[in-house]
Amino acid sequence: MLCKNCSSLLNRFVKNASCRSLSRLLSSKTYNDWNKAVSDAEKIVGYPTSYMSLRCLISDEFSNVAMHLRKLVGTRHPLLKTARGLLHVGKQNTQTRGLIVLLIAKAAGPGPAEQIKDQEPDKISGIYSSQRSLAEVTEMIHMANLIHKGVVNLSDYLESDQREKNDMEFGNKMAVLSGDFLLANACTELATLNNTHVVESMSLAITDLMEAEFTDLRNDNGESLLKPDIQFSDWIKQTYLSSGSLLARSCRSAVELADHREDQREAAASFGENMAYLQQVKNDLKPFLSKDNGLEDFSVTSAPVIKFLERHPDERKTFTSLQTKDQHQIFSIIKSSNVVAECVKLSDVYGDTAIKSLDVFPQTEAKNALINIVNATVNS
Amino acid sequence: MSTTSSGNTPTILSGKGPTPCRVSPCKFRILQQRELTSQTLHTDTQKDVNPFQLAKPELDHICSSINQTLNTQMTELREMAQYYFDGQGKTFRPLIVLLMAKALNAHGKNTDIISQSQKQVAMISEMIHTASLVHDDVIDNSSTRRGKPTVDSRWGQRKAILVGDYILSVSSLLLAQLRNEEVVKILSQVIEDLVRGEFMQLGSKEEPNDRFNHYLKKTFKKTASLMANSCKAVAVLSNCSDDLTERAFEYGRNIGMAFQLIDDLLDFTSHESVMGKPTAADLKLGLATAPVLYAAQEHKELNALIMRRFCHEGDVELARSLVAKSDGVYQTRLLAEAHSAAAIGLLKEFKPSKARDALEHVATMVLSRNK
Repeated sequence: MLCKNCSSLLNRFVKNASCRSLSRLLSSKTYNDWNKAVSDAEKIVGYPTSYMSLRCLISDEFSNVAMHLRKLVGTRHPLLKTARGLLHVGKQNTQTRGLIVLLIAKAAGPGPAEQIKDQEPDKISGIYSSQRSLAEVTEMIHMANLIHKGVVNLSDYLESDQREKNDMEFGNKMAVLSGDFLLANACTELATLNNTHVVESMSLAITDLMEAEFTDLRNDNGESLLKPDIQFSDWIKQTYLSSGSLLARSCRSAVELADHREDQREAAASFGENMAYLQQVKNDLKPFLSKDNGLEDFSVTSAPVIKFLERHPDERKTFTSLQTKDQHQIFSIIKSSNVVAECVKLSDVYGDTAIKSLDVFPQTEAKNALINIVNATVNS
Repeated sequence: MSTTSSGNTPTILSGKGPTPCRVSPCKFRILQQRELTSQTLHTDTQKDVNPFQLAKPELDHICSSINQTLNTQMTELREMAQYYFDGQGKTFRPLIVLLMAKALNAHGKNTDIISQSQKQVAMISEMIHTASLVHDDVIDNSSTRRGKPTVDSRWGQRKAILVGDYILSVSSLLLAQLRNEEVVKILSQVIEDLVRGEFMQLGSKEEPNDRFNHYLKKTFKKTASLMANSCKAVAVLSNCSDDLTERAFEYGRNIGMAFQLIDDLLDFTSHESVMGKPTAADLKLGLATAPVLYAAQEHKELNALIMRRFCHEGDVELARSLVAKSDGVYQTRLLAEAHSAAAIGLLKEFKPSKARDALEHVATMVLSRNK
């Protein structure tokens, strides 16, 4: 049952979120393209995915967290920012995962079993209910991961500021519980799919997400760490573990749930994986392409930095020592070099590869919607 | 007033076992003690079967088998994930799972060989348990466990939480590889129960009776569900009858309830040096367990302390002394004994075997542990 407090809280979040997206819509053409691709796609899959994860928030347990969350307002615990980000309807990357899974499911079409038997299948808008559950699981796993990655190390807070330390401890508790709640729901939801291969694949996606936080490109707080011998293959591996694996395995599982052929499963996985690389490159490029030279989104292990170091090995030492002292200097060197253009080209390649993987699927509006989302991401 | 047992009181399947002990639903006090003495099932010659000895060959391999599955390339992740599987833990869950598997196989197939899938369930039960411990320690802000620093006090809270998730997802992977959809559902339920139990611990009920029910329900979800459902899972894997599967579940549930009741009792009676963790820990966390809830029936002033989660200065000490003055500890022990007796009663329908005797022994062992 929807608890009163929770619903008013949600309403407020959603209202804020839609105002913000409206203003962004008016101010930017590329955002407009993206928004159109997503809203068209949402019509094709029947109902928007953004609301699926909200269903979780309506449960008793979550409304409990939502109540406690108010106590965190005014503190600096990352959980607040994560919660705000999750509820920002239509935000790129966070809620497109479920949508992509649904579109792949629809693009793959009815399974071979359905074409033989003439019994009415359990599906809405061309998507089986098991595939909808899977899309939901994908979003829940992603949300849980974002929340758990936001747990802070209490030793970073000084004993002298007991108040802040208490806030952080409390925020951690809420983060652990809400993330666990999402993961537990993902587990039970997966179990209902009656397909142990899908459970296996999605479990591997979670282990990959965890491994991503223990590579030598991440420090204890989850911040990027530049090592002197970094290669682009490190970037690929990091991106695969932290987002490619989940999207690839979810897309593959969606197709598997309808018993499609192995080459179609592979194609779906390839689409998901390349889409994740594309999104990461675009994300990495953002600080270089935006007008305000903000370092906020800049990462020392972003694709442009690594590409630059592969071209200029003599800078490796300097960059590694600069990362803690003066990131701005690294940023300026990269910005004035030609690796930015190279990375833009790279995003085209990932986009093309993603679109090319869809060749095994018939021409449908769902496939078109996927292509539009890829193009909107490339042009964003 | 009806004395039929609710979902959380000790039960025996209808009509088959001995009369269940009476637990008054309104006051949750054990009224009749006489029926609590458990009737032993086994023959004299097998009386002293040591449960740990019987499952030793399999138990010895539990930790190393688990560590093999946690063999990731990431060195730190591996070290953290394997930290608690050091062979120093009680491995109580694998013990009852393995013995249950043996008893069921002896019953249906006349063999005491445990199948590979059943061994996997034993591993999974310990992994789910450990993953939840790692998270609980962050939530409760504990600094030691089993006499060594907790994962989060050594490596920080952030990575500790991620390691808990990692252990859980590897256990889910093993579970999927059993290729049995029913077993996947049974053990996924445990994960949900653990989280819901943790949420239940956040809140409390105004009315004392509701509060006791809330406590029992929480105890089932946080502790007994894992034992009950793991026993059920090995039963499903042994292809035994529905009745026996239900008995396996109920056995695990009653053992789990008794286990936790004793744990809650020891928090009041034991010394830190014995437990390997600080005592009165529950009160300090604001949690009211059975001894306090019973004591509150005699000493009404405890109710206010329970509601404010013992947060005022001196609350913890006052609660401890009131519990000591009341029969709360005694009542808690009686309730644990009732669950233990119920567990033994459930074994009656199993064909006699060493494993069945060992399970019976486990039910009494749970009551006598002091750490």
